[in-house]
Amino acid sequence: MTTAASHPGRGARRLILAGLGLIFGGGLGFAVGRLIKSGVLNADGLGWSDLAAAAIAACLLAIGLIIGLASFSRKATGRMIDASEARPATAGQQSFYRQQAIVLALAGVMMAAPVAAVALLGEIPETMGIIVMLGIVAVFLVQTACNLTVWRRGDELMRQIISETGAVCFWVLQGLLFLWAAAEKLGLAPALSAWDIMTILMGFYLVISSLMSIRRGMA
Amino acid sequence: MKNRLKVLRAERDWSQADLADRLEVSRQTINAIETGKYDPSLPLAFKIGRLFGLPIETIFDDAQA
Repeated sequence: MTTAASHPGRGARRLILAGLGLIFGGGLGFAVGRLIKSGVLNADGLGWSDLAAAAIAACLLAIGLIIGLASFSRKATGRMIDASEARPATAGQQSFYRQQAIVLALAGVMMAAPVAAVALLGEIPETMGIIVMLGIVAVFLVQTACNLTVWRRGDELMRQIISETGAVCFWVLQGLLFLWAAAEKLGLAPALSAWDIMTILMGFYLVISSLMSIRRGMA
Repeated sequence: MKNRLKVLRAERDWSQADLADRLEVSRQTINAIETGKYDPSLPLAFKIGRLFGLPIETIFDDAQA
């Protein structure tokens, strides 16, 4: 029988997740700090958008890893779907969650790759740049295929959330981009690089996506 | 939009997951419809009507819309 006493409540689950986040974040921060100190990573050449992109990439990888690992257990996947009922997930639901984990993790890899290349190599030789870029394109194609499959396999609520997120992001960011571009043209704002804009877009997309999910009762 | 989904489900002693399986949607979708956070598409509304053997307008009420 499923009772409130036999399973941790919502608050307890959030505390556990926050604890796991602290452990993962602390561990990652410590490892990166050690690599910078030892000279393996060079953070001097990194701008604000590189650091923000690295943070977003770490979040995407962590979430992808957690969902991916949980998706191998029918019980854990069932808990992700409905913590109150804790009914074991079907094989189809497991593979659906695994696919979403892959999408998130690959997005993290793509965002991290250019920053990691700059941090590791500093001045990147053209051949190495081409090799990294080809790798990114390959990951991008796989991730796009997975993304399309997730869209196809998702139900109408999920598609609604994805569509609304896309619409809000376009509506807000195209307006902001226009205003920034106008200010930049008039010499009132500094120029942004494509990487700066991509990082802002990705961060904004993740925030809006979370808000839309909460609004529809998904989180 | 208000609806009687929760009542109809309870009358049959179905959980949200049971109803979700029958309608081939996620449990979250059923929860979002029941709590008024999401209005189903017309095809899903028809499917719900057929499942309960009731006309759509006896399940969904747009008076508050």
